[in-house]
Amino acid sequence: MTDALSGPAGTLETQGSIAPPITHEDLDRARDRERVRQARAARGLFSRGRLLWLLVGPGILVMLGENDGPSMVSYAATGARFGIGFFAPFIVLTFLMAVVVQEMTVRLGSATHRGHAEMIFARFGPFWGWFSMLDLLLGNFLTLIAEFIAVRAGLGFFGVPPWLAVLIALSILVLALITHRYWTWERITLAAALFNLVFIPVAFLAHPDWHSFGRALLSWQPFPKGGLTQDTLIIILSNIGATVTPWMLFFQQSATVDKGLTRQDIGYGRTDTILGAVLATSAALAMILCTTPLFHHQMSVENFQGAEFAQALRPIIGRFGAGLFALGIAEAGIVASITISISSAYAFGEVTQRPHSLNLPMGQGKWFYAVLLACAAAAAALVLIPGLHLVSVILIVNVIAVLAMPPALVFLYMLVNDREIMGDLVSSRWTNVLTAGVVILLVTAGILFGVSVIAPHVFARLSGG
Amino acid sequence: MDHKEESKLEAPDSQASFVTSVLEHDQLSRASKRPVPRKNLKAPQLAILWSLRIYLLFMIAVVLYQVWVGLR
Repeated sequence: MTDALSGPAGTLETQGSIAPPITHEDLDRARDRERVRQARAARGLFSRGRLLWLLVGPGILVMLGENDGPSMVSYAATGARFGIGFFAPFIVLTFLMAVVVQEMTVRLGSATHRGHAEMIFARFGPFWGWFSMLDLLLGNFLTLIAEFIAVRAGLGFFGVPPWLAVLIALSILVLALITHRYWTWERITLAAALFNLVFIPVAFLAHPDWHSFGRALLSWQPFPKGGLTQDTLIIILSNIGATVTPWMLFFQQSATVDKGLTRQDIGYGRTDTILGAVLATSAALAMILCTTPLFHHQMSVENFQGAEFAQALRPIIGRFGAGLFALGIAEAGIVASITISISSAYAFGEVTQRPHSLNLPMGQGKWFYAVLLACAAAAAALVLIPGLHLVSVILIVNVIAVLAMPPALVFLYMLVNDREIMGDLVSSRWTNVLTAGVVILLVTAGILFGVSVIAPHVFARLSGG
Repeated sequence: MDHKEESKLEAPDSQASFVTSVLEHDQLSRASKRPVPRKNLKAPQLAILWSLRIYLLFMIAVVLYQVWVGLR
């Protein structure tokens, strides 16, 4: 325990013979931790495997959760507009950035046992705390809208009416919650999230050119025709926003705390994050391979919302492949709507100091569950309003995520280098250099985007066009 | 803040001692009610935070402008 977080209350459970006031949340978490303790005490390969099985979760969920509706549409648009080339290794790079960033949340959560929003409010005060919350809630709400658009589009491919598609997504969200047990929720959501890998068999159906793919991964070539245009820049920003976003920081740190990870578990937390990144990168690259045939057919894919890609690919990958593709888009939206609304609910509970855990029974965590469901329901309802121009939301949601990331990353950087709360778990020099590099890259991409919008002629000259 | 909805378990001693033997002190739900001391931000840190705040507000205005142009 570190200086800032230790104190007189640390003795609350050792005072005399009076039983300390424990809650359902404590009891459920203690049961989970006991299983971890038993697995750690046992020897052998099976026990190591069991320990890994018990400790993985937040990292895989956050990475596959971020392969959400708008992200998969962004990867699909990348493949359809630029084919295999520069963007294949670029996506690998963005996931490496995500690993660097998310690993810090594992350390911060395990060391402090407090969520991200709570730490920002506590250490930097409500003034900066509310700014950070506004960024999160605005970004989360826009992203949630985009998730339900993806669900509607994906299930619409099978003729499911929009109201039913949205209802199915909300029902799955509620079903995962009603066990009011973090462990059960995590396993159900993990099972759903792994469906994201459905794009891998679909990519095989598209008969990709593996030689070109391998060459692109090593050489970053070919670069998009026309150089660095505004269109290319938006795709670059969308792909960055598809892998590093503020909700991921809040979600993984809070989930790490809710799961009960401690300093001893940080190594497994890192493995969890890397494993999640590998799975998510595979799905993202598979998506690019899926839609590359549209690039070769020079098909215009502007304003495609997901299911249109499935429709356009049908002659190439067949009815079964197109069906899997559409299901993958819907699943991406459903899983992300679960993780993103939970990140909002965690943050709300941490800031208002109300109980906030997936181990809470409905009665004890009514504010937590109410915020969670209200966020999801409001976004879902908005998607059903006829005539609303929602395509813009899909287009800008990843761009806004990229723009909001630098301020969020600076808070994270300051927290993980705060020796008072982190003790010897502060970031290494290399982690700090990499984090600074990510912030500089994000700000540069944002500024270039700004110049391309405000002064396109200047941008054309800058980029050699 | 002591919210009524966070009802305590009528825990027998064995259950309570199980919880406290397995969880670290800071992991108990009551621990989150203990305040964490505020950090004093230095001038360079404040400058970075303000710069990024202005950057974000400006860039969101740019995105809204782009959407408006796109819709027209």
